[in-house]
Amino acid sequence: MKKPARAVTKAVWLVSMTAVSLLFAYPFLYSILGSLMLKADFGNMGTLLPIPQSVTFKNYGYVFSVDGGAAPLFNSLQRAAWYTLWTVAMSILCGYVLARYEFRGKKFFIFVIVAAQVVPSVLTLLPSYILVSRLPFLGGNNWMGQGGHGLINNKLMLFLPLGWGSLMWVFLFTQSMKSFPRAIEEAAEIDGCGFWRMMVRILLPLQGPIVAVIAINTALGNWNDWLTPFLYINNVADSTLTAWLATLTSNLQQFGDKDYPKVFALATMAVIPPFLIFLFFQKYIIQGIASAGVKG
Amino acid sequence: MSAIAKTASKAKRRPSARRRREVRRAYLVLLPFFIYIALWNLVPLLYGLYLGFTEYNALGSSPKWVGLANFQTFFSVPEYGALLWRQIWMGMLALLCNTVISFLLALALNVQSRVKGIFRTAIYVPNVSAVSATTAVFVALLNPLANQGLNKIITALGGTAVTWSYSQFWMVFWIVAYFVWQRVGPAAIIWLGGLQGIDPSLYEAAKVDGASFWQQVRYITIPGLKFIAMYILLTGIIGAMQMFDVVMFISKGNPFGLTDVLMYRIYRDGFINFNLGMAGAESLVLGVVTVLFALFYLWLQRRSEDE
Repeated sequence: MKKPARAVTKAVWLVSMTAVSLLFAYPFLYSILGSLMLKADFGNMGTLLPIPQSVTFKNYGYVFSVDGGAAPLFNSLQRAAWYTLWTVAMSILCGYVLARYEFRGKKFFIFVIVAAQVVPSVLTLLPSYILVSRLPFLGGNNWMGQGGHGLINNKLMLFLPLGWGSLMWVFLFTQSMKSFPRAIEEAAEIDGCGFWRMMVRILLPLQGPIVAVIAINTALGNWNDWLTPFLYINNVADSTLTAWLATLTSNLQQFGDKDYPKVFALATMAVIPPFLIFLFFQKYIIQGIASAGVKG
Repeated sequence: MSAIAKTASKAKRRPSARRRREVRRAYLVLLPFFIYIALWNLVPLLYGLYLGFTEYNALGSSPKWVGLANFQTFFSVPEYGALLWRQIWMGMLALLCNTVISFLLALALNVQSRVKGIFRTAIYVPNVSAVSATTAVFVALLNPLANQGLNKIITALGGTAVTWSYSQFWMVFWIVAYFVWQRVGPAAIIWLGGLQGIDPSLYEAAKVDGASFWQQVRYITIPGLKFIAMYILLTGIIGAMQMFDVVMFISKGNPFGLTDVLMYRIYRDGFINFNLGMAGAESLVLGVVTVLFALFYLWLQRRSEDE
């Protein structure tokens, strides 16, 4: 009596979840297939999915060409790698100190970390831009910050800004130190291990999982952050892939000749690295949101 | 365990030289990072408080203090109020749809199955993809020509082609659809974590006492998910009140500004038209409203807990 009912439920579940998954995957399939078409074919297709009459890799040639996507692609990789290193180092160092040392003002630092998470980013978006353009002695500015354009359009803007949202990872590391046995640190100290060696040789490997959570989420977040480079850098060769795509995508709305397959090739290229990271490390990504959810 | 406790208590009686070294090291490590972050965040935050009270057109010029003039403009010109209201209702609509759909997906994924991982990947991947990359597909699908995108399918099925961007309804629909498609994954995973965190023996006990399915949902599942719901909605409010990327890429505020939102206006006033003082005032209004919404939500939550 009960068994067929359960089988029916299971079948309904399978079918509906497959439908939902296909719906979610559809834009990706569309982008991949569209990127394999010629511009002329894309305008004339008559199907639900852009199925290419003849497969072409011309658009990917453009993605990797020197005057095409090669520079922004390389910049995107560099930027994600740089912020990952920087955030991991900051999280381990500050997180360890906040978890283990006793000093005056500790509560204040923790308060800053928590308070920073609820400040809406709209409050700093435009003021940051103005201040960057007014930095003294840079980009033709005098000591008053007048006369030039500061660091606007400077490639350094890919690497310098550090939002206070990244402090969340410091907090996460501090929390994770609570379940880390002090005996390990004590033993290392008895063997003559100094502070820096302890960070690199003991904490980095033994806190591997939490470091992976921080590294992977930071890398993804920065790869997908199109807004910062889009606002500050106006030159494709100094920009990132996702920021350049923001320009291309918003131009799709305008009148005139549009090369959808080329945009799709770049978009597919921008999605592949995060997709691969997700496939291999989804455990850490999910742990990242889960721990942020519980502790934030 | 006792060994750890012993070393921990020993650690409390450290010699003071060592204690002093730790204090010094703590500041040496923390201060550079915190000062650097303050330069990039706290200084702009404070500068923003000043910016909204100035007239400042073009980056090359100097800001001129005008007091409350920008805020008077904001609250006397109806257009700004409309932009703020649209930010609120479009943002909340998107957030509501996202919260409900993510909860349903979490319920659907809260089962024992070997293929569950594939479905979870499918609903999560949009979230790890850049907004600027995936909106391009939506723009292509919403091509107004009869032989392009979704219209091709509609006309093939015998319908008439829709000029999507001429209709407020359709533009809002696609903005919300994209919002949910992009953000439902993390919310569903957080819900799922909450569902799995509820002690199964509670359900067993309820069944023994003869509780119905809905009673179980009402008295076990919903109270057990309170904190999760708070997190999803609180971060959701802050995010939805600053949503403009989806609007910028999908509708550009069309038709006739009927899907335009305040955040998009801030972007245009600030970064395109360089009406910096006014954009600063708009930012302050939106920032304060966002924080008020978050606080209001926290207050509601606190009150319902007291009952």
